[in-house]
Amino acid sequence: MQLAELEQSIGTLLDTPPYAMAPGQRNECLLTLFKRELDYACERSPQFENYVRHWPVSLAAAEKIADLPYLPVSVFKANPPLSLVPASEVKRTLTSSSTSGQVPSRVVLDAATSRRMTKGVIAIIRDFVGAARRPYLVIDTQENLGRRSELGARGAAIQALGSFATEIVSCLRLDPQGELGLDLEKLLACAAKWKEAEVLVYGFTYVIWTQLVQPLKRKGIALGMPNVHVLHSGGWKRLEQQAVTKDKFVRDVASVFGCAAERVIDYYGMVENVGVVYPDCARGFKHVPAFADVIIRDPLTLAPVEAGQQGLVQVCSVLPTSFPGFLLLTDDMGEIIGHDGCGCGRRGTHFRFLRRVPKVEVRGCGNLETTRQRRGGGA
Amino acid sequence: MRKLIHDELIQRIDSAEEITGAAQRLRKTAIEKDLTPRAVLDVFEQWAVALDASGVREIPGGAFLRLWLRRGTLEPILLRELGPESLENGWREDGRARLRAFPLGVVGHWPAANIEIQPILSLTCALLGGNSCVVRVPSGLMDPTRLVMERLQAVDRDAVLTERIFLASFDHSRTDLQEAMAKSVDGAMIWGGEEAVSQVRALPFLHWARVLVFGPRLSVAAMDAGVWGERKERASWCRRMARDVWQFEQQACSSPQTLFLEQGAECDAAEFVEDLKAAFQEENRAHPRLEIEPALTSAICQARASWLLDDVANRACFPQSTDWTILQGKGIDIPEPIQGRTLSVLVADDLLEAISKFDGTVQTLGLAVKDARREEILAEAAARHGVDRVVRLGQMHVFGSPWDGTDLVRPMVRMVRHVRSQD
Repeated sequence: MQLAELEQSIGTLLDTPPYAMAPGQRNECLLTLFKRELDYACERSPQFENYVRHWPVSLAAAEKIADLPYLPVSVFKANPPLSLVPASEVKRTLTSSSTSGQVPSRVVLDAATSRRMTKGVIAIIRDFVGAARRPYLVIDTQENLGRRSELGARGAAIQALGSFATEIVSCLRLDPQGELGLDLEKLLACAAKWKEAEVLVYGFTYVIWTQLVQPLKRKGIALGMPNVHVLHSGGWKRLEQQAVTKDKFVRDVASVFGCAAERVIDYYGMVENVGVVYPDCARGFKHVPAFADVIIRDPLTLAPVEAGQQGLVQVCSVLPTSFPGFLLLTDDMGEIIGHDGCGCGRRGTHFRFLRRVPKVEVRGCGNLETTRQRRGGGA
Repeated sequence: MRKLIHDELIQRIDSAEEITGAAQRLRKTAIEKDLTPRAVLDVFEQWAVALDASGVREIPGGAFLRLWLRRGTLEPILLRELGPESLENGWREDGRARLRAFPLGVVGHWPAANIEIQPILSLTCALLGGNSCVVRVPSGLMDPTRLVMERLQAVDRDAVLTERIFLASFDHSRTDLQEAMAKSVDGAMIWGGEEAVSQVRALPFLHWARVLVFGPRLSVAAMDAGVWGERKERASWCRRMARDVWQFEQQACSSPQTLFLEQGAECDAAEFVEDLKAAFQEENRAHPRLEIEPALTSAICQARASWLLDDVANRACFPQSTDWTILQGKGIDIPEPIQGRTLSVLVADDLLEAISKFDGTVQTLGLAVKDARREEILAEAAARHGVDRVVRLGQMHVFGSPWDGTDLVRPMVRMVRHVRSQD
């Protein structure tokens, strides 16, 4: 299997409008491509081939995407990271944000995967905010804008949106003690300069809340930028700890910018699922683009559940060829809303993210915490 | 007169005073009312019969509990730990002195939350020593504990035992209540995982309190080539192995996490795994899992993937569901235990080599060895390397004394020595 053959098939899907394909047509197309990609990965990685060979359903017998061998996303915490390309071809390594002292995930990107990643994100975001280039306000520091060979989740998310920018301004800074803070002067200058222009804003959810919204609200400042699109990602864990609901977050962000609440868009994504992000549509659901899929699995049987039932989220993407990140079982819980017909007009599977899988309190006498390093709680 | 433990069998506790008040009453009873082990055994016998009832039979470990409570099980333990005179609380002559076991008073029990019958097993040990008991029942074990205790209430018409028992329920994070319980007891039996055990051990127990800790440990099974290479016998050994893995969801300290197979000339590990797979499938049909924590699902999927990705020589066998997992490879190191019916099967050149690497975390070694002399050598080596129980494979969970290398009744009594002044 040659990369060029795959490239052509992936390219066709990437060039298709992301939310226009009929579900049946899309599934057939994806199943064939995933099988070819798995074959390709097996040829390049004996370890991955060993995994696929032991999967209960052979590639030949797989009749649907859900039958195909998926990896738990935590395998990317391995060091060295799982790779399908020689080290000389690795252009960049992405690392996850890894909260709570956990080991971060690491995925390697070659030039081709990197290009597809950018193209994938652009195709998705364009569908939500339009194709025009515009000023790009980053709620982060200048340090996170730079291109580096090892890039964290925040940096990767910031850079992925760079293609929409006519100019990029970051409005946070680190003080001499290394504390993050708002560069108010710079922010107000941008607000004055851009006023009613279309502006793209991006930041991690908790960074926007703690470093922008709260300081501005304390000072009673509204930016008067009604035509911004505020994209944010990175999860709600820290805000939940502060009892900040999604509604409150959206309301307060909109109030600070002086924009409509619909212009504040949360998206779900992870570095291991390169090139695919899941922004909320106007109905509050996340949509699967043409080059990806989402399956929700029953934690007990691991079988796909029906719409309306909850389970573990499996993300699927045809975009990576530098690491085996095609089919990944996440540690997140979600729910399929439907496989077509969302009121927002986008076609295909739409779902909602529910929560991270809670750490289980296994309190048994056979539980050696120091060995396992994965439990919390007590008796 | 029919005294109940309380109107509600398990008391939801909100204040430290509720615990200290109960402990004072219980201590008074333990001091003032003599309770012979024989009287305890009489009630236990009736309790065992009463537990053979619909709704209680289905509790995991219920069959074992019925067996445990029988006189035939417990009397030998008492005889060995306390001596023959102990059954009637008699004095034993000891040279010019005499000895007799007296209860510590009130024993506090902190059972692990993963074994349904553990609160009961723990308190039976203290009752046999004539003690009263305060038991913190973990939230997940309320229903099975209540069902079992209802049966005791029904048979213990004179409240011989029930007046000595206080079952308490409160959140593990309530440090004030944990401390109140610790300060109220003369002895403690603590069971559980590392974090839970460490937290309870750190509580402010009275300086004379005897604290007995069980766990956390893991367990291992081993077969020599003479057993697993024998096709005829292999299937039945695999069924025993499956039973040991299935019980308590493989979360008990006595649950096997790894099976070592000693390499033999005519032995094919792939064939063995096929038989083991059949046994696992059969056990799963008989005892299907009904629910799972999503975090355990993640851990199982992670274990399968890591095992096969880490070494291309590794093999594995698992269904599409989380029902069971066999990870097959070579080596003498115990892999990280996953639980959730995930067994590592490792071929080792020499079982002694694997056993010599045990470091004290291994509680039970389940053995299937053809030659008795060879087994003695393996058992001795295991004991030297920290193993406290060496049993026949298939019986790894049979609770008995000693457990974790410790007697179960004797630590919760005081051996009083009386040297007569007349002599």
